[in-house]
Amino acid sequence: MKSLTLALALLAPLSAEAAETGRLVRFVSCPVYRDADSGKKSGCWLADARDSGERFDVSLSPYKPDWNRAVLVEGRTTGQPATPCGSPVLDPVRTSVLDEPCQRHMLPAEGFPGRRFVLPPRNLAPLSVPRKPVEGPFGPRTFALFFEFDRAFVVYQYSDFLLDQAAAWLAAARPKRVVVTGFAATAPETVSGRLLAERPEVAQERAAITAESLHRLLPELVIETRTETAATPTDLPDADGLPGQSQRRVEIRAEF
Amino acid sequence: MTLPRRLPLRLAWPALGAAALVLGAASRPAADDPWWSPGEGRVFPATLDYPNAHGVMRTLLSGGPLPTRGHPFFEPIGTNGRACVTCHQPADGMSLAASTAAARWELTGGRDPLFAAIDGSNCPTLPQGERASHSLLLERGLFRIQRPWPVREWQGRPVTPDFTLEVVRDPNGCNSGPRYGPAAGNVSVYRRPRPVSNFKYLLAVGFAYDPKQGIALPRDPRSGQMQSGNLMADNRAGSLFEQMADAATSHLQLMGRLTPQQEARILDFEMRLHTAQQISHAGGPLDTLGAEGGPAKLRDSQPGALGSIGTPVWSEFAAWEKIPAAEAAKLSPEQLAFRQSVARGAQVFRNKTFLITDSSGINAPVGFGNPVRNSCVFCHNMSQMGNDVAPGQVDLGTTTLPFADPWPDLPLFRITCRGKPHPFYGRVFYTYDPGFALTTGRCADAGKITLQSMRGLAARAPYFSNGLASDLRGIVDYYERRYSIGYTEQEKQDLVNLMSVL
Ligand code: HEC
Ligand code: HEC
Repeated sequence: MKSLTLALALLAPLSAEAAETGRLVRFVSCPVYRDADSGKKSGCWLADARDSGERFDVSLSPYKPDWNRAVLVEGRTTGQPATPCGSPVLDPVRTSVLDEPCQRHMLPAEGFPGRRFVLPPRNLAPLSVPRKPVEGPFGPRTFALFFEFDRAFVVYQYSDFLLDQAAAWLAAARPKRVVVTGFAATAPETVSGRLLAERPEVAQERAAITAESLHRLLPELVIETRTETAATPTDLPDADGLPGQSQRRVEIRAEF
Repeated sequence: MTLPRRLPLRLAWPALGAAALVLGAASRPAADDPWWSPGEGRVFPATLDYPNAHGVMRTLLSGGPLPTRGHPFFEPIGTNGRACVTCHQPADGMSLAASTAAARWELTGGRDPLFAAIDGSNCPTLPQGERASHSLLLERGLFRIQRPWPVREWQGRPVTPDFTLEVVRDPNGCNSGPRYGPAAGNVSVYRRPRPVSNFKYLLAVGFAYDPKQGIALPRDPRSGQMQSGNLMADNRAGSLFEQMADAATSHLQLMGRLTPQQEARILDFEMRLHTAQQISHAGGPLDTLGAEGGPAKLRDSQPGALGSIGTPVWSEFAAWEKIPAAEAAKLSPEQLAFRQSVARGAQVFRNKTFLITDSSGINAPVGFGNPVRNSCVFCHNMSQMGNDVAPGQVDLGTTTLPFADPWPDLPLFRITCRGKPHPFYGRVFYTYDPGFALTTGRCADAGKITLQSMRGLAARAPYFSNGLASDLRGIVDYYERRYSIGYTEQEKQDLVNLMSVL
């Protein structure tokens, strides 16, 4: 009952909400896990923007928080109902786990259902499923994959999918060589009162792990790695319109 | 129902005490002895059944019987009188039960090559004639595994470990002194033998990526094929060839190397084996009334499929969810109840969710979050086998404090991460077996153990890499403690019954 009234209350000012749909938010805080249960992977992640006092539902991030650590939230507000988790939904959203420790905290479901798990659109099909052949013509082309803040981990059901798309195309296109450029967002920015900057080394780490994966997938490929620090935002579509996400990337450029 | 030809004789076995069992073994003709001694030259039949506490385990050898005379899996090709079969016994689901080791000790007065000082004792420096010097093998079925330390290379690349390893406690003497321990260039941990069967599943590559490491799978330098990453507790071997080279020099104390012919014959034998429980004492034959238990189903299925998007894990027993009344009437009430329990157990395994917390490989760095709600099948996700389709290095806590049980007879190491702290244990923590970190040299991998297959469990207690769970109930109890699952007593029993028929 409580959840219903709450949900209705949140639904009511839809028009007001809609007006500011798409507002970019970026903050650091401690995540809260809400133990909603609609089966596997259905729990809720919430995070509070301390300056504004807003609590957001950040569960739709492709890489999710750790309740022991602070999290960098980057997302856009939506008009989506708060029904699943009890807070306004950020979508798209990213939650990067930071080193800073947090008090772990779990809320009970309090009647919120969470979200029944559905496979994200960016997911790899098993090798046993025949692939559609990649069609030419083939010319110079650049692919990109994206990372968590200050990490070089190729995220499951996000960047592995993007990497695989690139690899499938490269396998068919057979470029003369491939240039893999790792970017790092090293220019410090103040977020929630903290100065955040990626380590310059992470550019190299990102390039190296991507190049190693490409080498394993396509042993014949000629690969060169480069790095670029002080990365600036781009409008690459798979960063989903989040400037911070678009900075933390690797570009794979095919040259013929 | 038709029982296998040789069954009635064997079914009487579990009822006998251990002493009677070994006496029986001594007076029985070798061809019928469940214990396979090195070099005895038996023929390995196409179908081999052995009884165990829960029923009958069946091993199928595709391609027909194999004369084992002269075969390198069965001959004592090293210097200590052991063969591969010594520790990978058909009657024990191609692993070795601790109870079998204890029975061998009684029968041979500890002189079986199984107890060779190298790894069949707690440490070669101990007096070998004494039972106490072999307590880890006799009581928990553990062999000593000596790994080089520090790690210098992984997947063909040089490695400098990002953590230090100090010995806090060395009850057996194999992690200190002039020849043993980190200061002498090695580390000794204690592990259960992993079953040598059903390898098409353990080698299957379902996806080209390792989601836990965020990288494409490595390729076998020999074949050029991608490696599944599902061998050995610490994944030190990427292929069966690498594994047999390791086994031959360590367990068999082979001085040279296996010849290409020996390698090929071992591989051929390993790839032809399928093992699973075939008959349940409590439930009857496991492939009746629509159920698909037993190894034939394993032999005939395509390996490497993810249960969540295909054939659900343990759906072999789905037909027992609703046994038609006419069929139910033909079963005893106990058989019917047991079969229904197995079917429920499979559903509990897949559907009963709980919060998985602080388990690296799952809760970090993959992106699932910490905690993440899921069930047993999250990690045990391969259809027909219940191992992990992705390389299965996960830290369940079985070997690392505070999640592992207190064990004074195991060595204890202190790990200090030099770079980033471990995501869940912090900078300094304690472990009996760093597992995968002994292969990668990375602090974040400490405590990770490769998931085994879930087949043949009935014949190979105790369980987990370090024998933490003495029986099937012990497995469920560990998970209940570890993740505060809240299983009902019925659900626990259903899981136990399920595991007894795999
Ligand atoms: C002294 C006992 C012993 C002997 C003899 C022995 N093994 Fe093993 N085997 C083990 C142990 C213990 C493990 C697990 C090691 C680990 O996980 O670190 C193992 C693991 C394996 C595995 C890995 C299975 C998996 O799923 O990961 C294979 C394959 C194997 N052994 C084959 C052999 C072969 C082939 C031989 C003979 C050349 C052999 N073993 C001899 C004890 C033995
Ligand atoms: C977070 C991942 C994860 C989940 C969830 C999980 N397991 Fe495991 N399981 C593992 C790992 C890792 C191992 C190997 C650990 C070891 O050997 O020390 C393992 C091993 C096992 C084994 C093999 C024992 C052996 O010695 O061969 C069984 C049986 C098992 N688990 C049953 C279960 C059951 C039942 C559940 C649900 C209650 C479950 N597992 C949930 C990761 C998981």
